[in-house]
Amino acid sequence: MLSVDGLDVHAGPVRLVRDVSFGIGPGERVGLIGESGSGKSLTALSLMGLLPEGVTASGRATLDGDDLVGVPERRLKRLRGREVSMVFQEPMTALNPLMRVGAQVAEVMTLHGRPRAEARERAVHLLGRVRLPRPEQIARAYPHQLSGGQRQRVMLAIALANEPRLLICDEPTTALDVTVQKQMLELIAEVAPALLFITHDLAVVASVCERVVVMYGGRVVESGPIREVFTNPRHRYTEGLLAASRLTPRGTRLPTIKGSVPAAGGFPDGCVFRNRCPHATEACEQEPALTGDGHAFACWHPAG
Amino acid sequence: MPSRAGTPPADSPRDEPSETPPSETPVIEAPALIDAAALIEVAGLNRVYRRPRTSLTRPGEAVHALRDVSLTVRRGERFGIVGESGSGKSTLLRLLCGLDRPTSGSVRFDGREITGLPERGLRFLRENLQIVFQDPMSSLDPRMRVRDLVAEPLVALGLPVGGRVAELLEEVGLPASAADRYPHQFSGGQRQRIAIARALAPKPKVLVADEPVSALDVSVRGQILNLLADLVDELGLTLVFVSHDLAVVRHVCETVAVMSGGEIVETGPVDDVWARPAHPYTRALLEAVPTLEGLL
Repeated sequence: MLSVDGLDVHAGPVRLVRDVSFGIGPGERVGLIGESGSGKSLTALSLMGLLPEGVTASGRATLDGDDLVGVPERRLKRLRGREVSMVFQEPMTALNPLMRVGAQVAEVMTLHGRPRAEARERAVHLLGRVRLPRPEQIARAYPHQLSGGQRQRVMLAIALANEPRLLICDEPTTALDVTVQKQMLELIAEVAPALLFITHDLAVVASVCERVVVMYGGRVVESGPIREVFTNPRHRYTEGLLAASRLTPRGTRLPTIKGSVPAAGGFPDGCVFRNRCPHATEACEQEPALTGDGHAFACWHPAG
Repeated sequence: MPSRAGTPPADSPRDEPSETPPSETPVIEAPALIDAAALIEVAGLNRVYRRPRTSLTRPGEAVHALRDVSLTVRRGERFGIVGESGSGKSTLLRLLCGLDRPTSGSVRFDGREITGLPERGLRFLRENLQIVFQDPMSSLDPRMRVRDLVAEPLVALGLPVGGRVAELLEEVGLPASAADRYPHQFSGGQRQRIAIARALAPKPKVLVADEPVSALDVSVRGQILNLLADLVDELGLTLVFVSHDLAVVRHVCETVAVMSGGEIVETGPVDDVWARPAHPYTRALLEAVPTLEGLL
């Protein structure tokens, strides 16, 4: 359904995302994980045509045959919010503070041609669908009157308003408390048509998605079924990330990945991870290709 | 090299009242008036905020941010405070650090009452208790060089700076050349190292860490937690560690207090609380956190 093939994102001469390819089938839930600076959010934004000024995407991405990258704004407008929609991390900044939330949910429908009265009615229905209590009252509230979790549910209602084919969630629960996060994740898994879920939290991705794409330094370093990748990681970065996210008993050292994520454009040539990798050799100066069916990885010295 | 030896709690002379005659009926934990091992003692702490008034005739609504909170942090202890937003943990932290005044109750640091003292009376607290905040991006002044950021607590307290900055940077694992640079030139993990160096500058007895790894990537989280553990050991620090994540607290601390709705709902050794949560809220909290082990 969604197919991304050789996606590149540039900011001037700096290549921020390189040769990213993956696909999402109907009803499939795919996680995109990576740390800050890995290019995961830029990948999502380029699918929505929402890249910041001065940042351009090239390559090919299609949703059921409709091109998403390199097409004029006028065509994207028809898709964005209707065929693809997105839930952002910060519900406080993503909602308009001066507009009642019911009107904000209705707006995305009237923009895509639904009659106003019908949109209003459906907005209340949608607020109920994301399990907000007393949706008629919530529809008349302003964002500041709602809690963080409620606001994020409103965002989800907006994203679902036009029955999109693909829902993109960019760290939708990072700003929420853990008990609220749990409900939100269950809700997303339940209502999403097909899902691209972006996060840095491995446990969160494992609780929502079936497949995972691991990004580092703007490249896909490993991808495959969640259970497979998380129990039998092949790329040394994935291996290190999994080790680092397991908390060992008190008094023991936590496993770490040495160094820190370089700034954009500061990643080494060849394998992007080689300056932090304990297994790097001269071979790693050559760029490893992403190989493998189902479970693919790009590493010269794979684990396992 | 430890710059100052910590005082292990066992050494304190007035600590153990265990040499009571065996003939007596066993004494059940009589509340000691002075606990020599206690470094921070909080008793019956309340903090009520008033919302801005919305009517001319009625005062604003009262918000009980803390309700009757009592706890004791002993010397050399690693004490965790867990709670979600709105649980009162930040209010408690502000009161522990003398940054706010309670509505009622007392906070004693090293036997001295700190509530109600004016800022100039809090010097002993500022020298002995320092804080590392959650977000190193906003806690470090972007227009100050690392040298000045790390030296600032010393300058503010009128202590000699000397070669302390280089010493501190080495302690937290940053190169000496870092001193001439600005915070934005460092990654999140390195910035948190700078914040830790700054907190350690006046050689405090207590380090308060408010969600120190929540804003960091997983691959650097371990580095910072390891660094904190090393520093606490080497310098004999007492650590107050605030987090929303009970799993992180379990890795770092021995004792935990779980907060909800402005109250401490459960407290005790962290392994006990983890294995046998007594309060329904603690149970809900533990169940809500997704873990890789549980999911795979």
